[in-house]
Amino acid sequence: MDLGLRLTVAAGFALLPLPVLGLRLADLQVLRHGALQTRASGEFDRVAEEAAPRADILDREGRVLARSVPTWSCFADKAMVKDPAAFAAKLAPVLGVSARELEGRVRAANRFAWLKTGMTAEQSEAIKNARVDGVGVVPVQERVYPNGDLARGVLGLVGAEGKGLAGAELTLDKRLRGAPRRFELIRDGAGHSIYKSIADDGRVPDPIRLTIDRNVQYLAEEALSEAAAKSAFKSGFAAVQDPQTGEILAMAAWPPNPLKNPLVQDAYEPGSVFKVVTALSGLDEGVVRPDDVFYGENGRYEITPGVVITDHEGAGDMTLGEILAKSSNIGISKVVERIGAQRFYRMCRAFGFGAKTGLPLPGETAGELKPLSDLTKVGLASSSYGYNLQVSAAQTLDAYSAIANGGTLWEPKLIVDGKPPVKVRRIAAETSVRTLAGMLEGVVDAGTGETARIPGYRVAGKTGTAHKVDPVTHKYSPTAYTASFVGFLPVSAPRWTILVVLNEPKGAYYGAQTAAPIFAKIGKRLLVLGGVAPDKPADASLATARLR
Amino acid sequence: MGFGTGSAARFAGAGALFLFLCWQHVEATRLGYRVEAARRETMSRRGRVAALRVELDERLSPEQVAARAERLGLVPAAPDALRRLPETSGDAAPLGGLTRILTRGFAPLVAATRS
Repeated sequence: MDLGLRLTVAAGFALLPLPVLGLRLADLQVLRHGALQTRASGEFDRVAEEAAPRADILDREGRVLARSVPTWSCFADKAMVKDPAAFAAKLAPVLGVSARELEGRVRAANRFAWLKTGMTAEQSEAIKNARVDGVGVVPVQERVYPNGDLARGVLGLVGAEGKGLAGAELTLDKRLRGAPRRFELIRDGAGHSIYKSIADDGRVPDPIRLTIDRNVQYLAEEALSEAAAKSAFKSGFAAVQDPQTGEILAMAAWPPNPLKNPLVQDAYEPGSVFKVVTALSGLDEGVVRPDDVFYGENGRYEITPGVVITDHEGAGDMTLGEILAKSSNIGISKVVERIGAQRFYRMCRAFGFGAKTGLPLPGETAGELKPLSDLTKVGLASSSYGYNLQVSAAQTLDAYSAIANGGTLWEPKLIVDGKPPVKVRRIAAETSVRTLAGMLEGVVDAGTGETARIPGYRVAGKTGTAHKVDPVTHKYSPTAYTASFVGFLPVSAPRWTILVVLNEPKGAYYGAQTAAPIFAKIGKRLLVLGGVAPDKPADASLATARLR
Repeated sequence: MGFGTGSAARFAGAGALFLFLCWQHVEATRLGYRVEAARRETMSRRGRVAALRVELDERLSPEQVAARAERLGLVPAAPDALRRLPETSGDAAPLGGLTRILTRGFAPLVAATRS
């Protein structure tokens, strides 16, 4: 037999099964293609998701305040666990949880139970290698706050599903959340994954930078918590703002609570810190001059029959500066009588009271400013010294910043976005504001705010002590107060406006005794931190050292 | 009709192509395993890096720095305890006695104007 014939026969035998195979192939690939592909996809193809990290929240200097870290969570599927005791005994050494506890969790579950969260990659691999039926591991992004409770009232909280629940985490949720990356995988017979392709590239959001300064925030929180340890008060908060731009540098609350930010959410009667509004109204309208004298009625003034205004200290004739320095309710009532309700109300609105400041934090209060029609003689008088109205700490801080910078009310800023600060309005003529600032310096130099003095530096501010309304009787409580101090420094070129408010201080309750020393403490530390040279050279006792 | 050398070569070529496609499929699968393993490794290492960064941030948090400073006996300076003087070059010659006295005498004025 020649070679050609032999090759033809061999090829014929080799190709003999082809028609049969072709028919079978046509059956599988054409007739049953759809059903078989669906079945294969269900068994072998799957899409894996890599949880997208939530964007970092940074402070103004780029230091991390909140960050997402990939961790792994381990769960049990009770339907696949035949013997919970054996299951728990196998997993206990790997998870570092007692077998008894694991068994309890599995038995208590309907079908699904978390066994451990926040695991490292190594722990997750160890679980997979243990090859225990009924256990699964999923990657999750855990939100961590490396500075502990620092600024938690501002930052807020993230829930287990990665959604913001409070604070900036809630209001900036959309900007902070990323889109997960999706991969198409094939599983082999042993269940191992084979990478196929990227189904969706996902999105990792850019970090958000707040105007908060981590160090300033710490100083404010430290001063508050130290004061809380020394003297009892129910709660307190402190805030620091740059008066030249409106940027919030610190928002501290004691006790810390990530679910609440009292600086924007709480409204309170401010008491005497509000006298600056009355004073500026008088000065700017030209109704009151700095050297005008008002009689202090020796501490007791019957404004209308049956309604008496008292001062904590009796006084005779007082100028506007002295009224502020002595924090005279009678004096400021007489000032507002001259100003009139309309002008006073206009100045309250100009300062931004009765309107939200626009801070990007949830639940901001607008406070409460009574309508003009409610400002009767008594109502106007009590409003002039900070009763009969409610303000938020953010509004008060912003108002004092406007006094510090010469009269510009800035929109308070919490996010560094590269845009210039937003000017809300000019509240009054610069000369009027500078005159008022000088009077506030007098409050600290020789008035009720002496405890806020800082040797070597010019400080301006105002004390406030207000009775709180008893929630049961709806009358002013004789024992519960709101004590506060708001001011700015150094007066020659103000860099910081600081607000301190204490809720229901026990024992000494005046703002001068309780809040002003906290203001001074924060102020001193800020001056060191900022390397600010003294602006009161008349002060002796200045040591000199060379810093290298 | 016969099965000539040309047909044999074509048959061998088709076989070689088939074998190449088989090899390519196997290789793609093998690479798929490796890519998946590398992806898991990357995720694991990314987690480790993030954990280390958090640890670093924790150690640099003001509270921990303050605690360490306190252990070292450091206390916060009062703002009036120090005066920041104008910077001088590190390798400058030591100041003479008269210059030192003048510098010290005018320092408060200089410092006051810097604010």
